[in-house]
Formats: sequence, structure tokens, C-alpha cells
Amino acid sequence: MRTPTGDVQVEITVKGGRLVDVTALQLPDGDGHSRRISEIVSPKLHDDAIQAGSARIHGVSGATYTSMGYARSLQSALDQVGV
Amino acid sequence: MAVRRVEELMGTVASLDVRDAQVRPDVLDEAFAWLHEVDRRFSPYKEDSEVSRFGRGELSSDDASAELREVLRLCEDLRIRSDGAFDATRWRADGRPDPTGLVKGWAVERAALILDDGDLRSWCLNVGGDVMARGGPEPGAPWRVGIRHPDDATATASVVGVRDLAVATSGGYERGDHIIDGRTGLAVAGDVRSVTVVGPSMTLADGYATAAFVMGREGVRWVSGIAGYGAAAITADGRIVSSPVYQALVLRADGGAGGTPAG
Repeated sequence: MRTPTGDVQVEITVKGGRLVDVTALQLPDGDGHSRRISEIVSPKLHDDAIQAGSARIHGVSGATYTSMGYARSLQSALDQVGV
Repeated sequence: MAVRRVEELMGTVASLDVRDAQVRPDVLDEAFAWLHEVDRRFSPYKEDSEVSRFGRGELSSDDASAELREVLRLCEDLRIRSDGAFDATRWRADGRPDPTGLVKGWAVERAALILDDGDLRSWCLNVGGDVMARGGPEPGAPWRVGIRHPDDATATASVVGVRDLAVATSGGYERGDHIIDGRTGLAVAGDVRSVTVVGPSMTLADGYATAAFVMGREGVRWVSGIAGYGAAAITADGRIVSSPVYQALVLRADGGAGGTPAG
């Protein structure tokens, strides 16, 4: 859809019975260049997190953990599992 | 053959996963020795470290090592680039620059050079949440890196597939951290729980993540304007605000790439 300041693209996606609203915005900054950001609305961030175990991840990025924090973390669980 | 090495250092833990068929142990030794050296020389918790002596004014900029001067210069570059959101001079009451905010990412980038120079092509190094991914776990496949869920250290909120990319996250949920907003000198207070940045340089991803966390949601837009870098912010109400570069890396639950971070 067109607005006075540019195009706004709105996309709505349904995945696995869950409604995930995607609103893509093209917003001009001071230089007149559009910077595209998408805001993903997930009503079920927590449920997605529960599925993490099935993602077979190799590592975790997060705010810096202490050694004790590491011991409680998913990264330490990954490090203990055989490759 | 896969090799995994995990060592406690820099007040955190370094985890290295190497998948190259041939791995010379001395290359791994050298990379970890470097990280331990950074710990000795740059830890703010070690009284006799270069950083502590510099902080007390016992070491001038002229007398500082080439490495310390390099990190301080990187801090200044980032201060300018972030319009002061990241400001290493705002952490100490006396205004002397504190390079701690960039040291970890910079150290990991240097460790990566050691591994690369040692002809390793497929490895993933995680130092306290700063992840550098080289190549992939198998030919053509990306390393799968989860972003820590703000409320649960055993869960992830998003997963990206990365090859030859760094992933850094800044947030307030660990260590009771108070990240300082360089523009105000006060702790960041807003509705962003964490910001994750992906891009080619670990040093810059680390710095941009901190600066973007300070900026809040606007930080994602700021990172989106930096060529080659993407960002995702997790908000207090459970949303992920992300840029197209980040979205293109997101792995779907079915294993495919390029999707909504929470999908």
C-alpha cells in the first residue's frame, strides 16, 4: 500500500496453525534513503523457544555469561553432547 | 573427525567445535593461549593487568601496548559511528576510556585469525556468547546458532544459519549487567531485552550489538544501514524486530532458511 512517504508492504503469514503477523516497513531516514526493517509479531515467543531442542543447534549467542552462568546454559549442554 | 575444546577464561567459557579432517593441536593451543593472554593483559578484575594499570593512570596512552592502543582506537571509532551511544569514556567515573566493551569480540577475531592461519576451515568458536562461525559443520551447511531466550538460559528465541559470520548479542539479563548509554551516562532502560548482530567482523558485531542495545528498537534500523550487518532485537513483550540481513539467515523449524525469526 502507498503512503505519502513511501511504500508500506504488509504481509500476513499463517504457519502451522499459528498466526504470525509480519509488517514490513520502508521508512525514509534523514538522507531520504529507505531503510527496510521488519517487525515480526510473535505472540508465542515462549512456545518457539520450547521447540529449540529440535533445532539441533551447534552454539548459542547471548549476553556474556559468567562461568557459573555457562554451567546453567544451553551452550554447556551442547558442549557436553558428543558431536 | 571433530574436536571440541572448552576452557574457562576471561571470566567466562570458550567453546570451540572443529570439524576439519586434519586438526593440528598446536593451532588450537595457540588460539587458546591467545585468549588466556588477553585475560591476563585486559581483565579489569586483575589488578596488575594493562587495562587496570591504564585505568589507574599508571600507564599512559603512549606507553600502552600496540594492542591496547588498537582496542582504544576501535572504541573511539565506534563512539563516533554510534553517535555516542557506545562511549568507552562513560564507564569510569574519571572518564578514562574503558575498553572492556570491545575486548572480547576483538580477542575472538584475533583467535579466528590464528585458526585460519592454521589452515582450519570448519569451526565454530563461542567465547561467552560471542560466536564466530567459519565454514560449516558439513560441506555446504551452515553452523546453527541459537539466540539465547531472555528469560531462559536453556532456551533459544531464534536460530540463524551462518557461514563465515560472527554473531554477537548484547543484553541486560546476565550478570545483573548495566550497559551504560554513552549519551546519558546512565544505565540503559527500555523495552529491549537483547540485540543480536550478525556480520563478517566479530569485533564490529560485538560493538554494534552493544551500541544497538543502547539505542533500543532504533538500534536495529541503525545496524541495517551498515553494509553486511544485520540485527534482531527481542522486546519485553516477546516480539523480534529484525532487519532483512538477519531475516535471510533465520532457520525455519523445518530446517529451511530465510524466515520469520519466531517461525
